[in-house]
Amino acid sequence: MTTKSELSAANRDLITENRLTMGEPPTAEEVLAYTRGELAPDEEARIRERLIAYPDLVRTLTTPFPEGADPDHPDYLSDHEFARHWKALQKRRRSDGGLQFWRAFGAVAAAVAVVLGGLLWRAEMRLKQPVAVSQPQDLYPDGQRGIGTQQNTLTTNGDSYFLVPSLGSDLAVDKLRAEIARVADPSRTLWSSKAMLRTPDGSLVIVVPREFLKPGTYRLVVYGITGERQEPLSSYTLRVPSR
Amino acid sequence: MTNDDRFQDLYRKYYKRMVRFYVLSFRVTEEDAEELTQDAFFRFLEAMDEYRGDAEWAYLETIARNVAYNRIRSQKTAKRGAETVDIHDRNAIPEPAAPPEPDYAQREEDALRSKRLRDAIAGLPTGSRECIQLWLNEFTYDEIAKFLKITVDAVKSRLRDAKKILRAKLGDANALPEVEE
Repeated sequence: MTTKSELSAANRDLITENRLTMGEPPTAEEVLAYTRGELAPDEEARIRERLIAYPDLVRTLTTPFPEGADPDHPDYLSDHEFARHWKALQKRRRSDGGLQFWRAFGAVAAAVAVVLGGLLWRAEMRLKQPVAVSQPQDLYPDGQRGIGTQQNTLTTNGDSYFLVPSLGSDLAVDKLRAEIARVADPSRTLWSSKAMLRTPDGSLVIVVPREFLKPGTYRLVVYGITGERQEPLSSYTLRVPSR
Repeated sequence: MTNDDRFQDLYRKYYKRMVRFYVLSFRVTEEDAEELTQDAFFRFLEAMDEYRGDAEWAYLETIARNVAYNRIRSQKTAKRGAETVDIHDRNAIPEPAAPPEPDYAQREEDALRSKRLRDAIAGLPTGSRECIQLWLNEFTYDEIAKFLKITVDAVKSRLRDAKKILRAKLGDANALPEVEE
């Protein structure tokens, strides 16, 4: 004769098998929604099936919860008992408060670290990116015959202006240097280059970062350096149009 | 009555009975039960200000069950750790030898019978199967009814059906005699 205990053992094996395919038991939130009847029928059936595979968990839902004790019942905490347990609870509350402070502090610190890390990463990525340089732009010096005071209007599609000032081919200087200042404020140099050698074809190439030159009118002065002597060779009026 | 007064009143009324609830229902030690009780009251205290329901004891019950559920669930889902023993450790205590197993033929017969019983349970209609599985796990009619959200009469009816089907499947007219609990 098949007994209940025999079937119970088979049921335990069946449950063990089922757990393997069902995965982990439902979360407390899912179970709360189940007990409150907030789930769709399919979902409710799924949660119920998974719970049946964990009888101990079902017990947490079905075991009758005790009623509160009346003040004259021995189960009602005496003043002495209350003081003892209450103290332990307050201690736990304080330690949790401290823990929460450090958790919050840790969360803020982590957020700041993430933001700084992100900025650093962005900066690094920008540095690694190739710098886009636009087509070289020939510059005509001020006062050149036939051109007069024509300004050189700068254009660029990249991060820098790629300027090639027109220089005489018979310059007897060791090196060249360039400076840019606003026409309206010539005493204040906005940008200056180091001493440079001319290129093999005799020209001078200047790369000026775009951010140095806001829309306006500027003057570029090219200096010739011989030994320790430096003298202006030619100047160029530059116009940076509004974007 | 201030929040503190209300909380202290509930605390005095429920503390001991909740400890007992955890000990008897979930087979935990008295010490663990006290920890679970304090945990439940701590959560209740933290959430009390935001609670807008009618009966605070009902809310306390929800939290108490939730605390128990999470404790047991974490035990179920905890990864099983294996004790590691240094191979050169002469003091390591070896596991006791397994008890002698029944002979091969007997084991085969037992395995076949167990599979037959498992298949019989698994093949029951869903409602009957759920009832019998809970009943086999020693849940009372009331508990089964509460969990499945059906009446006690419906539980009894489904159990009768389940037993009838099982008897037929197993070819055992005397299996699972009807005994009222």
